[in-house]
Amino acid sequence: MIISKSEPLLSVRNLKVYFQTKSEKLFGSRKWLHAVDGISFDIPRGTTFGIVGESGSGKSTAALAIMRLVPIMEGEIELRGSRLSEAEGNELMQLRRRVQIIFQDPYSSLNPRMRAGAIVREPLDLMNIGDRDQRDGRVADLFQKVGLRMEQRALFPHQFSGGQRQRIGVARALASQPDLIVCDEPVSALDVAIQAQILNLLRKLQEEFHLTYLFISHDLGVVQHICDDIGVMYLGEIVEQADRIALFKRPLHPYTWALLSAVPSMDRRRGKNKHRVRLKGDPPSPIDLPQGCRFAGRCPFVRNICREKAPVHRQIFPHHWVSCHRVSDDGIPPHETDDYADQQTAI
Amino acid sequence: MDSKCESSVLLEVSDLSVNFNTRAGIAHVLDGVSFTLSQGEVLGIVGESGCGKSMTALAVMGLIPNPPGEVVGGQIIFRGENLLDSTQQRLRQVRGNQISMIFQEPMTALNPVFTVGDQIAEALVLHQGLSHNAALDKAVELLREVHVPLPEKRIDEYPHQLSGGMRQRAMIAIALACEPEILIADEPTTALDVTVQAQVFDLLLELRRERKMSIILITHDMGAIAEMANRVLVMYAGRVIELAAVDDILQEPRHPYTRGLISCVPTLQFGIEADRQPLKEIPGIVPPLTELSAGCAFEPRCEFSMPACTTDKPVAFQTANGHLTACWLSNDELGTRI
Repeated sequence: MIISKSEPLLSVRNLKVYFQTKSEKLFGSRKWLHAVDGISFDIPRGTTFGIVGESGSGKSTAALAIMRLVPIMEGEIELRGSRLSEAEGNELMQLRRRVQIIFQDPYSSLNPRMRAGAIVREPLDLMNIGDRDQRDGRVADLFQKVGLRMEQRALFPHQFSGGQRQRIGVARALASQPDLIVCDEPVSALDVAIQAQILNLLRKLQEEFHLTYLFISHDLGVVQHICDDIGVMYLGEIVEQADRIALFKRPLHPYTWALLSAVPSMDRRRGKNKHRVRLKGDPPSPIDLPQGCRFAGRCPFVRNICREKAPVHRQIFPHHWVSCHRVSDDGIPPHETDDYADQQTAI
Repeated sequence: MDSKCESSVLLEVSDLSVNFNTRAGIAHVLDGVSFTLSQGEVLGIVGESGCGKSMTALAVMGLIPNPPGEVVGGQIIFRGENLLDSTQQRLRQVRGNQISMIFQEPMTALNPVFTVGDQIAEALVLHQGLSHNAALDKAVELLREVHVPLPEKRIDEYPHQLSGGMRQRAMIAIALACEPEILIADEPTTALDVTVQAQVFDLLLELRRERKMSIILITHDMGAIAEMANRVLVMYAGRVIELAAVDDILQEPRHPYTRGLISCVPTLQFGIEADRQPLKEIPGIVPPLTELSAGCAFEPRCEFSMPACTTDKPVAFQTANGHLTACWLSNDELGTRI
């Protein structure tokens, strides 16, 4: 496995982001929304770490916190020797050169009044990188790298298709030669035929420039395709974390298992597994969190202990962590032992 | 669910063409679309944005905005009656009563200032002449049928008080209120999380089974098609390019576009050691519908393009088992030309 033989490029420890809600009554108390509640992971250089989860799981907030775009409540973010979580002012500005982001929606993340060339060039201008000629040369180079034509630099965003716009977004993220690129659902606004173009581009660029990606997505097929290591988030916590082979071959957490089996698959028709587990209900609100395991309310394997005590994030296999009382110490998940499994799955 | 539906044809759309007058010229939004829908069948319509899948649904509902849209040809025969010749009054009787529709975004499709109960009751009062109170009672039953917990309480709530999944269930309850024969679901789960999507799919299949309802499922997700549909209609640039039973499409897609659509998606491999091949790309983008060539609309992106493809619009060829493909490549392989 590729996991941290060397020192990781990005190291996140016990990251917490809480938001204070508005009070419902005039003098009512304000509550805390636990968007990200103590997540930790490392990303080795040149690899992709994926965060998957459903809406409200805190995956995008985690990405924004790493970009230092939302206030951090607690925890450390370290970018190869620099404390990203505590940097302020000029130091933060310098560090931001090394962390860039690709946004979800290529329609709203590009300024409609700026020409494509100026959009890609803007980070260089803002961060004062190179002189004028060097910047022009860099923009031309980037256009070619992401598969756009040089003469398209003079066009406005509305003159591009969705896929091309996302290529502009990729070029802009690459401009300052960052170490880490945060990709926040970079293909979910695109048509399926265009998704493949962008995913292949991201992988090509990664190989060419030895880039490191933090990849946020709700699409498990995409995550499996592009990520080396994956963290599954549920209500602000990473409930399971493993490399891609292990996670998709044998997920340990019941939530991961349910999530994977809920994905409609073309393979299913071909007779591989027709059955799937069904979760009841929706995720609870991240404001009034249940004590104990946060998944207990929807978990088909719930026991009393799950409702009473929060599970610890345990390492089960060398590169496989899970937060679940019901996973045995030798790594047998509940969906392989409980009777429930016999009725519901045939994997 | 796998059995071929050979029962009676409920809806027959033939040669349906819709134009939109735009500033850039006339856009051929639908160009000779033909298909049938049998009783109890789930027909999937799949394609990229702008391919005409939603327009097909709106045309069946008689909801093409005019202007700028205009139905310029074809027939929509529902139970022996051509809906395109019907009066608005007659259409209002059919719409929401015998044919109803659920939309992609339940938050925008529901009215924010009326309770869920009122919105379900509206259809019942309008089409079945129930009193408001009787309609509300029925609304509770409907919500129970779509597995909304505590329906007695929910009917007095407003859409913003419900979760995304609950809203979509409420939408489905509205659509089901008058026991329609055809339910058109336009990307019903795109706005939902995957675990909730699975619940909604199960619900739709359950309702189809219990009520012998026919469903037209519009989606861009081949996985959803594989789970839900009996037959699949693949559309590209306003035209039907392939129509076949779901197993035939998934195992033996004939049109180069359908093949691309299936292989460009990173399919989740679950329970096995997943491999990681580069994804197959479909190069280029969908052409503007105002600038379609005389030939095949997919020709500029097609790796098998031949001279005939640039000059002549492909006609539909059909195999013995009903697999229909509109592609000149199929000319050699296949027999019957229709």
